[in-house]
Amino acid sequence: MKKPGSGLIKLFLAGGILIIFSCTPEACFEETNSFLKASFYNNETGKFQAPDSVTLFGEGRDTIMIYNKERNLQPANFPLNAETESCTFVVRINGVSDTISFFYSSYPAFISKECGYTFNHILESHSVTNNIIDNVIIRNRNITTSNEENIRIFY
Amino acid sequence: MLLIIPAVSLRAQDSILIPLKLNAGIDLSGPVIYMTDKNNLNAEGFFSADRNEKISYVVEGGYSRFRYSQYNYDYLAKGIFIRAGADFNMLEPQTSKGKYRAGIGVRYGTSIYSMETPSFSNENYWGSVTSSIPQSTRLGHFLEVVPGVKTELFKNISIGWSVRLRLLISAGTGRELRPVHMPGFGNGGKSATAGFSYFLVWQVPYKSKMVIIKKEEPEEYDETDEENFEP
Repeated sequence: MKKPGSGLIKLFLAGGILIIFSCTPEACFEETNSFLKASFYNNETGKFQAPDSVTLFGEGRDTIMIYNKERNLQPANFPLNAETESCTFVVRINGVSDTISFFYSSYPAFISKECGYTFNHILESHSVTNNIIDNVIIRNRNITTSNEENIRIFY
Repeated sequence: MLLIIPAVSLRAQDSILIPLKLNAGIDLSGPVIYMTDKNNLNAEGFFSADRNEKISYVVEGGYSRFRYSQYNYDYLAKGIFIRAGADFNMLEPQTSKGKYRAGIGVRYGTSIYSMETPSFSNENYWGSVTSSIPQSTRLGHFLEVVPGVKTELFKNISIGWSVRLRLLISAGTGRELRPVHMPGFGNGGKSATAGFSYFLVWQVPYKSKMVIIKKEEPEEYDETDEENFEP
C-alpha cells in the first residue's frame, strides 16, 4: 500500500516551483498623472460638442503644446503643477484664444507598487476670460487619475 | 414482497487512535527569501493545538521589514503582525493517522506597522516634482484562506507548505496612501494578494483520541434483484 506521506512530500516539493513562478516583476500600465478633465459644450444648444479645433498650452510655455489644433477633442486633459497652487492655460478654440486659471491644493496619492505615486488635487476656484468661452462650471472638485469629468467649458 | 436488509444497523464499526498534538512551527520561506533579497525580511512562526482529528486552532505571529526602491520612489515599512484562526484537515482519520494533513485554514490577521516614503517623483507637463511622505504608524486588518499540506518527516517533526490567499479589509491608510507593503499581508495596493509559507513544525502529543471509522460497506441486498435474476 502506498504511504499517504509520499504524496504529500511530492506536494511539498511542488510548492517550491510555485514560489519561483510567483515572483515575476510587473510593469506600470496605469495612468500616472491626475489631469483636470474638461468637457466641451455648445453654449447655444447646451449639448456636449467637441470644437472643430483646440490648442492648449500653459501660460508662458507656448513652445510646448499640450494640444495643437486638435480635432474632436473630448475631454481635454489639463495638467496641473503640484509645486504651485495655481496654473494658467491658454485655450484656443476654433482659432479664438482665452485664458483659464485654476486654483487648487495638491496632495500625494499612491497609484500602485509598479507605478509609484502621483499628486491628486482639489480644485478650489477658477477664472476665465470670455472671448469664445462663455462659462466654466465645476462638476467635480477632486482631480484624480480616474476618468471623471471635473469641469464643463461652454463655448 | 420487498425485503430490504437495514444495512445501516448492521454496519461494522472500527476505531483508530489519533494523537492530538500541540504544534510549534517556523516559516522557512522568509529567511530563504532574505538570503537572496536583503531588502525583504519576514520572520514568522506559529503555535497550534489540535482540538480533534479534524480541527486545529492556530495563532501566528511575525515581524516584517520591507524596503523597496525603483526609478520614481523609495519605500520603507516595518512592523509586527498576528493572525488567528483554524485549520481543517480533510483527510480521513485512517489516512491522516495524526501525521498527515491536507486541508484548508482560515485566519483573521492584524498588522501594526510604520511606513514611510523617503522620496518620490512625479513628472508631467510642468516638469518633475520630488516630494516625500513622512513616517506614520498604521493598523491594518485582513483575512486569509490557507490551503496546505503537512507531513511527518521524523517522529514529532513535520514539514509542510501552504498557499496564503489574502483579502484586505483595511490597510489603515485610507484610499490615497495605501501601503506598498503591509507586514503580514504584502502588497497593500491590491485588495487581494497571494503568498506562500514553508514551515518546519515541532509537535508534542498531549492526548490521544479514539476515532470511530467506518469500514467499507457491503452493497445493499435487495430480494427483488434475486427474483429478477435470470441465469
